[in-house]
Amino acid sequence: MPSRVAAMHSASVLAATLCIFGTAPALAHFQMLYTAETALTSGQATQLLMLFTHPAHGGPNMTMGEPEALYLISQRGEAAEPVTTDLQEYVEPISWHSEDGSVDAFQASLPRTLTRSLGDYVFVLEPSPYYEPQEDKYIQQFTKTVMNIAGVPGNWAEPVGLPAEIVPLDKPYANWTGGVFRGIVVAGGEPVPYAELEVEYVNHAPDLEQHRFSADPEVEYPQDAFGTLSIRANSQGEFTIGLPRAGWWGICALEIGSDTEHDGKPLSQDAVLWIQVKDMQ
Amino acid sequence: MKLLRQLSTALSISVLALANAAMAHSPICACYDNGDGTVTCEGGFSDGASAEGVAMRIVDESDRVLQVGEMDARSTYTFDMPDGEFHVIFDAGMSHIVTIFSDDIE
Repeated sequence: MPSRVAAMHSASVLAATLCIFGTAPALAHFQMLYTAETALTSGQATQLLMLFTHPAHGGPNMTMGEPEALYLISQRGEAAEPVTTDLQEYVEPISWHSEDGSVDAFQASLPRTLTRSLGDYVFVLEPSPYYEPQEDKYIQQFTKTVMNIAGVPGNWAEPVGLPAEIVPLDKPYANWTGGVFRGIVVAGGEPVPYAELEVEYVNHAPDLEQHRFSADPEVEYPQDAFGTLSIRANSQGEFTIGLPRAGWWGICALEIGSDTEHDGKPLSQDAVLWIQVKDMQ
Repeated sequence: MKLLRQLSTALSISVLALANAAMAHSPICACYDNGDGTVTCEGGFSDGASAEGVAMRIVDESDRVLQVGEMDARSTYTFDMPDGEFHVIFDAGMSHIVTIFSDDIE
């Protein structure tokens, strides 16, 4: 499977990039499901951002359609029953800004009563398929972000049952810089051997108030292959990545879902998992 | 004599194992004002263990016990909010105690 290369949406931006780099950078599409902090010491109101973008470069951003579903599965303690809460009523459209213009994105402002209990919160976004004109295909990235309150674990390691899913083998919200993160790529409940994965660092901090990325990158890439790290799962569908820097990392498994067509075009059903990394201080 | 030594060694290992088990997790408790004159506390442990049966005490400023109870099957305990300052004690034994003061309950 060839690595997905997203084309720039603006000819002028593309031209400028070519001038600077001599070649267009490989950019991976990532469905963001972002909240500022996933390891909380106490419950509080939660703000979620849903944006389709290229996080390693802070864009270009793509216009999202209305999400098909947004929900959370919470669990306090490993023996407790998981509780699913539909969050669709909290979804509201926003415009996400950049120098190239604005795109449609979404946010959800969750009241404290929803996210105040101890335990794990697995947020799940099932976006509508996005048509990528440069590839003449649709992309649908089933996305998970896991939050925890006060350190009581719950269902962070449990599969949700999505058509395409990354199941964590390590807590997504408790990772030290310099550590590793492991997971299993799953589709239809079965591991996907040798699944193709792309890994990106959120190199421009999202500003949830101004609805734009920070203009300043966290890191400079020495060469294009460092922006989007491409790896393969092993024969059991398992993977391990290193975590060299604090912040947010996105992991995307490409084209693993069983649905391969939408509106008469090819469809890529991907799985995205977000993890947060902290420095030891 | 040899048997006694073996038994003694076995007992020491058991005690050590129990001590290690006790140290392997931390008690966690949080309380919320329900806005209807009651407070709900949730408990748990950092290893995901249930807090069912953990003793709960509501104590006033003079350390007088106002209410006693225990965490239910969902690891929660709800009580009527007392007048004045108070604190909640989540007492799982073996030094696994969490104290929450009324000023911190929102």
